[in-house]
Amino acid sequence: MVDSILFFFEVLVGGLLSGTMYSLVALGFVLIYKASSTFNFAQGAMVFFAVLSFCGFMEYGMPFAVAFIAVVFLMIIVGLLTERLVLRPLMNQSEDTVLMATIGLGFVLEGLAQAKWGVEVRKLSLGIGDFPIPWIADNLKLFISALDLTAGFVALGMIVLLTLLFKYTKIGLGLRAVADDPGAASSIGIPLKHIMLLVWSTAGVVALVAGMMWGARAGVQFALIELALKALPVLIIGGFSSIPGAIVGGLLVGAVEKVLEVYIGPFFKGGIEAWAPYMLSILFLLYRPEGLFGEKIIRRV
Amino acid sequence: MGSISKNILEIKNIEVTYNKVILALHDVTLNVPKGKIVALLGANGAGKSTTLKSISTMLASERGEVTKGSINYDGIEVKNQNPSEMVALGMVQVLEGRRCFGHLTVEENIISGAYSRKLSRGDLNAEIDKIYGYFKRLKERRKSQAGFTSGGEQQMVAVARAMMAKPKMLLLDEPSMGLAPQLVAEIFNIVKELNEKEGVSILLAEQNTNIALRNADYGYIIETGNVMLEGSAKSLLNNEKVKELYLGISKGKRLNFKDAIRDSERKKDAIKKKVH
Repeated sequence: MVDSILFFFEVLVGGLLSGTMYSLVALGFVLIYKASSTFNFAQGAMVFFAVLSFCGFMEYGMPFAVAFIAVVFLMIIVGLLTERLVLRPLMNQSEDTVLMATIGLGFVLEGLAQAKWGVEVRKLSLGIGDFPIPWIADNLKLFISALDLTAGFVALGMIVLLTLLFKYTKIGLGLRAVADDPGAASSIGIPLKHIMLLVWSTAGVVALVAGMMWGARAGVQFALIELALKALPVLIIGGFSSIPGAIVGGLLVGAVEKVLEVYIGPFFKGGIEAWAPYMLSILFLLYRPEGLFGEKIIRRV
Repeated sequence: MGSISKNILEIKNIEVTYNKVILALHDVTLNVPKGKIVALLGANGAGKSTTLKSISTMLASERGEVTKGSINYDGIEVKNQNPSEMVALGMVQVLEGRRCFGHLTVEENIISGAYSRKLSRGDLNAEIDKIYGYFKRLKERRKSQAGFTSGGEQQMVAVARAMMAKPKMLLLDEPSMGLAPQLVAEIFNIVKELNEKEGVSILLAEQNTNIALRNADYGYIIETGNVMLEGSAKSLLNNEKVKELYLGISKGKRLNFKDAIRDSERKKDAIKKKVH
């Protein structure tokens, strides 16, 4: 009995922790959704592009920290070019137009990354093993991966940082204003291009961090782009415009998919991990379309 | 005295086209003297909003462009500036339809207006308090989400927000739209007060001719992109044509639809009687 309860907890904790990785990816989507009211299909490609470039820089012999900073600058340049070449010409176009543009941007980034760094799967070592932490395994009888735990803390740190940024800084207020009404924001002198640049660069850095966590576990490879799309159910559940939503959505998706896989999976001959989150998100679309934390659509009647 | 020191805004014969083909303004010339309120009157689609947007340079984002003429604001030629540069120069537009940031609180909306200024925390608070002095209603609602406040309060938020940019000149686009007469009066009182105490010059686009002229110093009437009539607010209020076409008063007697229909019925009857 005790064993089965412990096992359940292990599954749950494992799920929650791997869910933080979803949260990290979803965070990048939320940032851009807030500023452009559009789902950034290029986010997955940004994850891939960022972490592949990181590996590439390391292969050039750059130390870890230098490579990290180099990629941060690279992602800022990507943000700058995206604002200048994609977003600015599409200003005041419908959100659907921008959505299509992000799909195109995704292909460009994928192509660039592979043209420069090649297509082979790379191993990324962060010096943190993907194996149970001995101390917790011995004392609590829970097998929790060190990598999962690190990813959890990193995600938590980024969330706290970004929430503080949005809530209490001037640029954060500017961003929230732009999210509500870009036209009105520019009428009072909030420069849209600075806000867009900030958001896309931040999303790029978030993509890098998420990519490093995922890459360390699954290898740096093309499949990261599809993994990033798991953020879609996360966002539907959590709410597209909410940072806490991305976190809770990620945790929920992580936990639900692992628990279902272990306990109900055998009845379906396994593999339900891949579609269970999407089922859950359909339920949300039916009964709570704004998600758990999404901003309610305000309509005056 | 040179014209630059007298007028804060001088528009000469501007023509505006959207998408390079749709002609929205044919020929508009108008001046706003420093510290005065000037009303820009006309029906829907006459070109009031387009005129304001060409001054604030918000036109570019709607694919509109000033194709002829010149706009001179405070001694500066308005041409390739962008809206945030105009705000920095002290020219702020309050857009039609209020356009509050619905998910931000009333106070956050007001603070956002000072985005272009570098203020210390203390100065910012002093400015906010000053604004609340004019908009007393907003002080009570400071913590509410702006999207859930009434239409009148939202209009006040929009004006208060614009005032936080410390404008030398405000462009108000239909502040009376969709509001009860009482609230319209309240808002115009505040606007007048801001004009008198803060010295901000105002160009006011309105369909509500009556209240606009009662508060303005000077007025222009535009129709299909042309200035049809201009004059001091008093002279316009007493002008027979303005009375008939914009104020709904004709030769001392109020003309409404019922009267008009009754008049025409009577005429028809008279004709019938003649025929038989």
